[in-house]
Amino acid sequence: MSGADPLSPIPVTILTGFLGSGKTTVLNRLLKRPSLAGAAVIINEFGAIGLDHLLIEASEEQFTLLDNGCVCCTVRGDLVATLKALDLRSRAGELPGLTHVVIETTGLADPAPILHTLMAEPDLAGRYLVAGVVTTVDAVNGPATLDRHAEAAKQVAVADRLLVTKTDLVSDEALSELRHRLATLAPAARQSLARNGEADFDIMDVTHSAMAGDAREMAAWLDISAHECGPDCAHDHSDHHPGAGHHHGPREHHGQHHHGIQSYSFVIDKPVEWSAFARWLDYVAALKGEDLLRLKGLVHVTDEPERPLVLHGVQHVFHPPVRLDAWPSADRRTRLVFIVRDIDRETIARTLKKFAAIDATSTVAVGTGTPSRAAA
Amino acid sequence: MPDRSADLVLTNGLIYTVDRKRPWASSVAVKGGRIVAVGEADAVSSLTGSATKTVDLGGAMLMPGIVDVHAHLMMGGQAELFELRFSPTSSLETLIARVAEAAAGAPQGAWIIGGQWGSDLLPRLNKLDALAALDKASQGRPVMLRDDTYHNRWINSEALRLAGVSAATPDPQKGSIGRDPTTGAPTGMMIESAAGIVESTIARSGHYTEEMDRAAMARSIATLNSYGVTAFLDAAAMQPILAALKGLDDRGELTAWSVSAMPAVEPSFMSGIAGDELIALRENYRGAHARPDFVKIFLDGVPGARTAAFHEPYVDDAILGCCFRGSTIVTVPELIRWVGKCEKLGLGVKIHCAGDAAVSQALDAIDVVRSFNGPTKLIHHIAHASYIAPDDVARFAELGVAADLSPFLWYPTSFLEGHKQTMGEARALRFWPNKDLLAAGALLAGGSDWPVMPNPDPWNGIEGLVTRRNPSGEFAGVALWPEQAIDVATALEIFTINSARAIGLADTVGSIEIGKSADFIKLDRNVLETPADEIADTKVLTTWFEGRVVYERS
Repeated sequence: MSGADPLSPIPVTILTGFLGSGKTTVLNRLLKRPSLAGAAVIINEFGAIGLDHLLIEASEEQFTLLDNGCVCCTVRGDLVATLKALDLRSRAGELPGLTHVVIETTGLADPAPILHTLMAEPDLAGRYLVAGVVTTVDAVNGPATLDRHAEAAKQVAVADRLLVTKTDLVSDEALSELRHRLATLAPAARQSLARNGEADFDIMDVTHSAMAGDAREMAAWLDISAHECGPDCAHDHSDHHPGAGHHHGPREHHGQHHHGIQSYSFVIDKPVEWSAFARWLDYVAALKGEDLLRLKGLVHVTDEPERPLVLHGVQHVFHPPVRLDAWPSADRRTRLVFIVRDIDRETIARTLKKFAAIDATSTVAVGTGTPSRAAA
Repeated sequence: MPDRSADLVLTNGLIYTVDRKRPWASSVAVKGGRIVAVGEADAVSSLTGSATKTVDLGGAMLMPGIVDVHAHLMMGGQAELFELRFSPTSSLETLIARVAEAAAGAPQGAWIIGGQWGSDLLPRLNKLDALAALDKASQGRPVMLRDDTYHNRWINSEALRLAGVSAATPDPQKGSIGRDPTTGAPTGMMIESAAGIVESTIARSGHYTEEMDRAAMARSIATLNSYGVTAFLDAAAMQPILAALKGLDDRGELTAWSVSAMPAVEPSFMSGIAGDELIALRENYRGAHARPDFVKIFLDGVPGARTAAFHEPYVDDAILGCCFRGSTIVTVPELIRWVGKCEKLGLGVKIHCAGDAAVSQALDAIDVVRSFNGPTKLIHHIAHASYIAPDDVARFAELGVAADLSPFLWYPTSFLEGHKQTMGEARALRFWPNKDLLAAGALLAGGSDWPVMPNPDPWNGIEGLVTRRNPSGEFAGVALWPEQAIDVATALEIFTINSARAIGLADTVGSIEIGKSADFIKLDRNVLETPADEIADTKVLTTWFEGRVVYERS
């Protein structure tokens, strides 16, 4: 994906993370990388008192060229207007070739409305593409923050990439414990580590291309369901949990200290009648949109079984489904991953059955595979 | 020792309690506005003290006060006090003559407001020659005449001028302005949301003052009391209505239990705040007898104007062509969102559904909400449960949805004639499957939809439920789908305990049982033994509300 082509949409990464989790440090380091030379940074402060921006060398309410060629600005009002202005200036040649946009939220922000804006705002459609949500989690304070603050849990839950910061300040055991917990909350998110503010990935890599229809990426998100683990799953996930002297089953991870946020996935063996499924989506979005933090899916539809549909929703907004050219793997079953707040998996299963005649098998979503995915 | 004696004892009555456990009694005792004893004379004798007022019913029938599940109070009072009244079977010539009389007695510039013309007359009125006749009769005064559905208005040229409507005015969303097919000039016919243009013009003109509103509300309730109604649901309660009810209640002048349904969207026939903004204010309007516990959603229009949503198309039409089925005003997801929100807030939803497709969608939405969120005790209403696809009949009971039976159109009327024109006779006649609903276990709740019915007299509706024939003598010899007739005792339940359940007041009203409000009506006959075609002649002799006489027939 290149910003050099004025017609191709510009990827947007949302960088979020609780207060003090180190996202500004990470951003400053990332911005020094040559790969981000054409990036614009928007520090988004709406709805919250922002302090973070003071740490970034930028003046308010205007675009500033940073040393490495990045554009930076602080938004207090309308994100849409800012993104439109950025696009216009880029196309008018006023800014160096825009290749990427990073929106840094305030520490208390709920990233979902920003995702909404990017996905639903007609003036932005076609110009920008959600590349993904990167959430920083502080290895030292992260566990306590997750216990205390629903906002922090939600920031983790909606992430495509979790960046654990300050890893050099905690024991391996504590780090492992936290990563396991993050995997429970956001099983499909990739985990990365940062040491001394230096991330082990490049933000340009996070192209979370469910929207773009990148099969590999989608498969990674849905890897969790390929895990083949039903509610009666026998093997113990805490095997992957070094240092945990006690055994606890997968269920114990759900809904604990996570403010009602949980994730689960479903596998559907039979091809899906899209119209019935879409109607169910309308229902769930209308009624449960607020609590549907993220929904991703790869759907085997009856009318074009060779070409799966990629589904991506944030709360009540769904991207128009993208049709892949081919299945990413031999597994041709429909897979759905839900990250929700206070919605039982039974509710999903029951209503899918009732309103779309779909028999969905629930799989326990515990992200045991995340360390290897993080390394990918 | 506290004084156990009752404030009021009614004895020697033929008391029909509508309590299936004890249908009949002869005496009832009341203390503090509540029933404290029901039974025979001995049940109340020990409660009769020196201060007890005793009333000998002289063998007359006494029953619980009527509960009207669907009325529009302010409009009813306004119509009674301030408007020109004519029968829905009136001809164009009669309308013109009545307007001419009213114009002769009205000050220059004063609005002449009246109703209701039969909706079957719509094509005849929707013409420039009819408008010319109306203009001549009104002598320059603005005129607005409502139809019998209350969804449409016919106005004169002066009213068009005041409302700023001309040939150049585009049709509003979800409504249309009647036009001459050749010249495009407006005919004065304001259909559905177009009615709102003229209604808001009148509202802005200050034609109805606050004093008039209060008087209209008090008059409305007095009228209800005179027909034996002691509890009702106001089916489109905007702020002035909520305020009038609360104001009367605070002053001890509210002589009926009132439940209000706040419109989710500003209705075409009223103006003011609605939806979330109005709902947020509801606790300000709660009183001892005033309960803003419902939300009203208009899902479609009316069959006669082809604005109701049906599964099957209307009869071909020059403008709408073939295959037009009408449409719903609110989408299913929007409706789901509303029902979900109301369930969270503990509010019932009354959904206006005139066509069978609207009924299906309303049931679907409730089904979706309940399937996702689990059951609640809230009873939502399908108003008006009239054209129902056979597959939907059983769903009322399954979903705990009340069938709002209003207005009294389960017998031949001018409405039905209008429906025959738009739907074809066979389909039009499959109107009000009351017996089927009953057999399927649905909660049927009776209401008047006054002033859509020219008065809220429940005995008219009750007779019609039993005979399926028009009690007025109009359409003589014709019954509407007589297989759907039900018995009198069931009809009485429909207008008392069933409506009480539907509006959330079953613990308080709807039957004569200990602990309930002492809301009684004394009748001039035993309606259970009256020939069916005479039930509508029933007169209420006395109405008690909380043990106080609020109406006495002179």
